[in-house]
Amino acid sequence: MHRLFSFLLLALLSLNSASASSEYHEQLVLQPLPLSALLASFNFRSITALSAFEAHNFRFFPRSLGQILQHADTRELHLRFTLGRWDAESWGARPWDGAREGGTGVELWAWLEAETDEEADQKWLTLTNALSGLFCASLNFIDATRTTRPVMSFQPEGDHPNSTVNNMHLLYGVLPHEVVCTENLTPFLKLLPCKSKAGIATLLDGHKLFDASWQSMAIDVRPVCPDGEECRLEIEQTIDMVLDIERSKRPRDNPIPRPSPGHELKCDTSKPYHADDTCFPADYSTSQDWSLSQLFGKTIERPCPLTDPGVPPVCLNVPDSRTVFISHGVVEKKNPDGMSRCFDIPPEVDFNLSLPGPEQKEGEEGNVQIEVTSDLVKSKTPLLYAERSFTGHGQERGGVQTMLRNPSPDNEVEFIYMESLPWFMRIYLHTMEARIEGSHGHNSSNSLIEEVYYRPALDRARGTQLEVRMRIPPASTVFLTYDFEKSILRYTEYPPDANRGFDVAAAVITILNSDKSSPRFAAYNLRTTSLLCSLPTPDFSMPYNVIIFTSTAIALAFGGMFNILVRRFVAADEGPESNLKAAGQRLKGRLAALFERLRNKRTGIVAEKQPAPAPQ
Amino acid sequence: MDGGKVTPGRTMALLAGASVLRLAMFTLLPGLPDLLAGRVEISTPVTSFKRLQEGLFLYNHNVSPYDGGVYHQAPLLLPLFSLLPSFAAFPLATYMLYIGADLLSARALLRIAGSGEAGESALFASPRREKRASGLVVAALFLFNPFTIASCVGRSTGVFTTCAILHAIARAVSGAPLGAMVALSFAAYLSMYPLLLLPPLLLLCYDRQLPKRATRSLTQFATTHLAVAAGVLAALFWMSFLVAGSWEFLPSTYGVQLTLSDLAPNVGLWWYFFVEMFDSFRSFFLAVFWLHLSCYVGGLTVRLRRQPLAVLTLLLGIFAVFKPYPSISDTSLFLALVPLYRHVVPLMRYTFVVAAVIMYATFLGPAFYHLWIYAGSGNANFFYAITLVWGLGQSLLVCDLTFAVLRDEWEVERPEMVGKEIRQI
Repeated sequence: MHRLFSFLLLALLSLNSASASSEYHEQLVLQPLPLSALLASFNFRSITALSAFEAHNFRFFPRSLGQILQHADTRELHLRFTLGRWDAESWGARPWDGAREGGTGVELWAWLEAETDEEADQKWLTLTNALSGLFCASLNFIDATRTTRPVMSFQPEGDHPNSTVNNMHLLYGVLPHEVVCTENLTPFLKLLPCKSKAGIATLLDGHKLFDASWQSMAIDVRPVCPDGEECRLEIEQTIDMVLDIERSKRPRDNPIPRPSPGHELKCDTSKPYHADDTCFPADYSTSQDWSLSQLFGKTIERPCPLTDPGVPPVCLNVPDSRTVFISHGVVEKKNPDGMSRCFDIPPEVDFNLSLPGPEQKEGEEGNVQIEVTSDLVKSKTPLLYAERSFTGHGQERGGVQTMLRNPSPDNEVEFIYMESLPWFMRIYLHTMEARIEGSHGHNSSNSLIEEVYYRPALDRARGTQLEVRMRIPPASTVFLTYDFEKSILRYTEYPPDANRGFDVAAAVITILNSDKSSPRFAAYNLRTTSLLCSLPTPDFSMPYNVIIFTSTAIALAFGGMFNILVRRFVAADEGPESNLKAAGQRLKGRLAALFERLRNKRTGIVAEKQPAPAPQ
Repeated sequence: MDGGKVTPGRTMALLAGASVLRLAMFTLLPGLPDLLAGRVEISTPVTSFKRLQEGLFLYNHNVSPYDGGVYHQAPLLLPLFSLLPSFAAFPLATYMLYIGADLLSARALLRIAGSGEAGESALFASPRREKRASGLVVAALFLFNPFTIASCVGRSTGVFTTCAILHAIARAVSGAPLGAMVALSFAAYLSMYPLLLLPPLLLLCYDRQLPKRATRSLTQFATTHLAVAAGVLAALFWMSFLVAGSWEFLPSTYGVQLTLSDLAPNVGLWWYFFVEMFDSFRSFFLAVFWLHLSCYVGGLTVRLRRQPLAVLTLLLGIFAVFKPYPSISDTSLFLALVPLYRHVVPLMRYTFVVAAVIMYATFLGPAFYHLWIYAGSGNANFFYAITLVWGLGQSLLVCDLTFAVLRDEWEVERPEMVGKEIRQI
């Protein structure tokens, strides 16, 4: 709700300052979540006039990225670095309705302007290699086997003139194995006008960010053309993280977790067996008291001077009933909905924020959880829950099962399910089946699956691309399953840790906007978790042995055949002596003669000798 | 061997028994067909029924099955199976097709055995030919061979290749060279390697021509019939082009066999060799393996000129070991033809060793595969070792049979040597 409000505010502001060709603003939204988690959403947005951008006149737009985009003719770019898993069951709907996050690892999709597919591939190669250098990520490993051209799942977010739309190619690449870490954060922060020297970006620190339960860094570049105005290029950088408050508050000098002493454990006292020596951990940890300096290890060092003063840099989504302590000089503005408040930070003021725990009513022991929940802003229920897993066992074949649950009691949900799978998972599309929980007929597939786009994998050339448009009735769970076979690879194609398995990229689920008048294509996005697929492995230690053994088997067969075919049959006592036997006899005769001569010399008797015994 | 006399009644009883057995396995054991279809010993990338179904599904949904890495089988199988009622709804039609293919193979075998070609060809009559096996025994050994039954129940498309090859031989021995060429073209179209059987088959056709329309000149005969085979193949390719809509089926069906791009484990020697092969030598060894496979054709054809059927049998044995994607269906074809040479079995030296090795590999192969893939307590070398043993056992059988056939030939010149010890120089 608050976000909507700030968007409105932004829209108003942008109308007011329409003449300004470039602007920048940033905002941090903090939202406590159940189970002692805290969602921190950092959003940085710079806008430049498209004409200025094309004239190489970058102002707030990062020059390094801008030049790459110009060089590769990229009209729209989306880059995601994600770690961890969003726990939708407890945390509810995703921030930004899932539009600013990717699957585990690195995800990149872009619209490139090119005349032909080959030209687009070439530019894509340029783009991935350049971004790889810029962000210190292995984006250059996005080759043809990891690139797909989605047909249904993505639509450009920006406004593109009709002349370019026809020549725009969407390419999508994903690296599920990439581990996102500090080396990706540093170049990300360097793109900001204030870097990490001032403003909310001072809070971003690799130790905290990558220690989060879930984090996602996103870069979105898109042209925006308001009606009757000059087109502008917008770059939006977003970092969303879910911090475990308990974990983040652990002091830095004592970071090793140790079991807490018995009297510090938080127990559910309502359990009948609760006693001094028996503790059932409380479902909801009451440690909802925290301050920015505790969580991030520092405070916000003065606001970024370049930011638009109309946008409050920090907002906190808690009910008005909760008390918040803020630094001196900071102005608190409560939003009319009573569920959030924002803070304006005057220049040259350091900002800290402290949220004490909710007041607990003593005596009502059984209702602890209910009391506490009312002290949080309740998050929205997501439009869809999705879980994907492997079925079957063994390294020969398996299946993929995705459980899709529509929680809404009265609205059906229509979405596109997209998988981009590596080529060595050979999927059998004829086994794909969607069934509603509880039913076992084949009829259900037809009504649930509306459209399928499938591009099968080619060995070592490209991966499988599968897009399925489905519709799930209200309050029901659907299982989408298909079988696949695991290939065995050449031994040089396995990574060094072959037995760890191969990462399979997350499935992308795009829920279509049922409101056709809305300009937004997707009402909600989500990604499943990525999977780890173990392939059969050869024995890496013995290529020579295998070559020798197989060659021996072939030589035995060939030699045997050759012998039988080319040699003549004779009776056992016919024909000449075999060479070996004759040579043996000759050698024996010579040795005997030599021996005889030696003996004769020694005795000095030269006598007539009988010749050596004739060979038998 | 009066008990093996071929009468229509006995033939019918044999065929009926075999089909009832297969039908019972299809219907009474519902899990068995899919279990067998998933075994690597039966389903190779170029014969798997599951891949055929996937190709069929894509074909019926207007996705080219050859623009993917799953389907590597001949394009004309697609319209054939589309004409059948859908497998999911009405599997009996597919079962009947496979059973029918097996029965046709058995009939072809009956005809081959009945012609007596194995014991008495145009240029050679074995002194032992009186002891040859009756057609019924040969057909029964084929129909009730566990390998044949497993291939049929596992619905490997190798069954159709087997049927085409046996028909080619049957047409050849009954003096219908054109029919033989057509059948062999079908076999070559389905699996490519039967093309290597062309030289001995031509000789067999030439030897068994009907006297009234015989062509005296071998060159003229060969040219005409090669042209027929080429014509039939060209027609098949053209029809495939119409079905597939482009020529991309060629690299996807025959190219895969030539380059072994799919390294799925099977009972042959190629897959593990090329898994472990260094990249720079891959093409060289592919060429060497193919050269090795085809080098037997010339040698055997020349050396056993007087017994072309023996050449065909031995070549099928060699292919069952050394072709790129062998399965037990190829072995079952070889083992179907071996009983034709029952009269030379007393001349073989290693029958017990061969039988023991083949049994050993048959039982240990699935166990070792399980240890590697499912239990995780063995590695790939376990299964590889068994495929080596299997290959060695079969190649020993081929060598031994060659020896027996040659010795049988030699004893015509030296009748006094029967039963004596001999050696080769």
